[in-house]
Amino acid sequence: MTGEFRSRFRTLVDGSDAPPDADHHIFIGPQHPWCEEPAHFIIHVKGERVVEADIRIGFNLRGIEKAMENKTWRQNTMLIPRACGICSAVHQNIYVRVVDRLAGVEDQISERARLIRMFSCEAERIHSHILWYGILAHDAGFDTMLHVSWRDREIIMDIVEDFSGNRVNPALMLPGGVKRDIPKEKADRAKPMLDELEKKVLYHKKVFTEEASIRNRLEDVGILTKEDAKKTTPNGPTGRGSGLPFDVRKAFPYELYDKIDWNLVYYNEGDILATTLVRLDETLESIQMCKQILDNLESTQGELLVRVKPRIPEGNYMSRAEAPRGEDLHFGVANGTDTPERYKIRAPSLGNIDATLKRMDGEYIADMPVILRSYDPCFSCTNRVMIINEKTGEKIIIDQDEFARKAIKAKKYNRSFF
Amino acid sequence: MSAELKELEGILNVTLPEKLIEDIEKVEEGHFNVLTTAKNAYELMKILREDAGIYHLSTVSGIEKEKEFNVCYHLQHRIEEEFREVPINLFVTNVDKGNPKTPSMVDFFVSADYYEREIYDFFGVYFENHPFLQRLILPEKWPDDVRPLRKEYGWEQIKEITMDIAKKTLEED
Repeated sequence: MTGEFRSRFRTLVDGSDAPPDADHHIFIGPQHPWCEEPAHFIIHVKGERVVEADIRIGFNLRGIEKAMENKTWRQNTMLIPRACGICSAVHQNIYVRVVDRLAGVEDQISERARLIRMFSCEAERIHSHILWYGILAHDAGFDTMLHVSWRDREIIMDIVEDFSGNRVNPALMLPGGVKRDIPKEKADRAKPMLDELEKKVLYHKKVFTEEASIRNRLEDVGILTKEDAKKTTPNGPTGRGSGLPFDVRKAFPYELYDKIDWNLVYYNEGDILATTLVRLDETLESIQMCKQILDNLESTQGELLVRVKPRIPEGNYMSRAEAPRGEDLHFGVANGTDTPERYKIRAPSLGNIDATLKRMDGEYIADMPVILRSYDPCFSCTNRVMIINEKTGEKIIIDQDEFARKAIKAKKYNRSFF
Repeated sequence: MSAELKELEGILNVTLPEKLIEDIEKVEEGHFNVLTTAKNAYELMKILREDAGIYHLSTVSGIEKEKEFNVCYHLQHRIEEEFREVPINLFVTNVDKGNPKTPSMVDFFVSADYYEREIYDFFGVYFENHPFLQRLILPEKWPDDVRPLRKEYGWEQIKEITMDIAKKTLEED
């Protein structure tokens, strides 16, 4: 069944598994923001075309799962957001839901606490998506868009900071509810800011769909068909750009996502433009949801925190949430003491790597920066690329900017990359 | 068990032979835990993949119990018309601790490849018929017999091993 496909992650250190018809091998990485993302990409090319791409991971194993087994359930509430630098709230959200469920207080959580949790997750989705398409524009050689979008991203960052005290790690949630309330005056301050942000994001969408210089870099590039997507099991926006209409918020609603009004975004084209549009539309949806949540908060009252006993009864529970990058899965096993027996975290990027490598097959080397960016890896930078000429043994090391610049030139003036 | 089995069969629209299943728990509405053994896991997965058409494997978890290992496949049954997913956690139980072996599911899911290698790395569970069962995440210099997520290795011990590797690397350089 999987004969025509094999999973990647198979490069041997001596390079003996390179496809025979490739003439150059390009190495990208490794990086280390968190576990799954620090990756070393190996791209085998023939001329200007990619023959096959592979990956090696594991450069920054931090052992969070092992660390969690040595701390109490309550201490872990503050360890778990550190799993990811940018989607910290969503990791914490799943964790507190696992603990709520295992402790049996799931039904006692008030609507107000749930709404505040949801606000935190949606605000995070907005700033994560804006960050991503800014960097995508930068990779495609459109730096104006990077600066414009990151300038506008400050609006939502200011709101998060106002509500939680932190810019990227709000840490608002606790097992049993939330730590802080969102008072009315803060909500009133945020509403006009969200209106302003919506206008800005609509402008960003206009740029991505109408501006030819960026659209040409994304359209019909790195197409992942629905059949391929089903085999390589991507999740989140990567899957939704290829016509797999699954979003955990709709597929298996948690918190109050089934109570508020929002639309599922998906596109069938499967190229990089489609995944970009999925994220742009989702940003608009999330802004709309944030406004609804703030409106609902006015009329909803309730306890913010219910007591959860430190000892969690025996049991196991798997819970998922839609992180900005896709489906995030946690699986907790409790043994009746105050520490977890086992806690498994699967962050979305690992599941998306296979699909992204599949996208690269047969594409131009000049499109690599854009395709690598497409699944929103947390790579802070694709810092260094080494190109080895097999015949002469010559090694050239170029940094990310140089790589992007060469790629842009090759694409724009139809020149050769090397 | 039979009521939950009927409900799951209704959702998946297949017949699941009772002899392949140890137990079924309904966690909540539309979320099931299915328990099976290493002997029957392959056959059961074949029915789930080929007859029921489950194509999404979210991840694979390894769990160490007192006398056995468990390997859990987190599957999602996707109903595209309703944009809905039914999570099914397939537990392969009774994996012997002395000689941990369980069938690999690479034949059904491409993604099982690297998830299983992760379990092999951290727990030392051997997946039979896996085409490329090699180290995925742990560092190259990590000792082969140390499986860091097993309970026998404490936090302090793991720290020591990590420091040793770092020291050795520095000396070599």
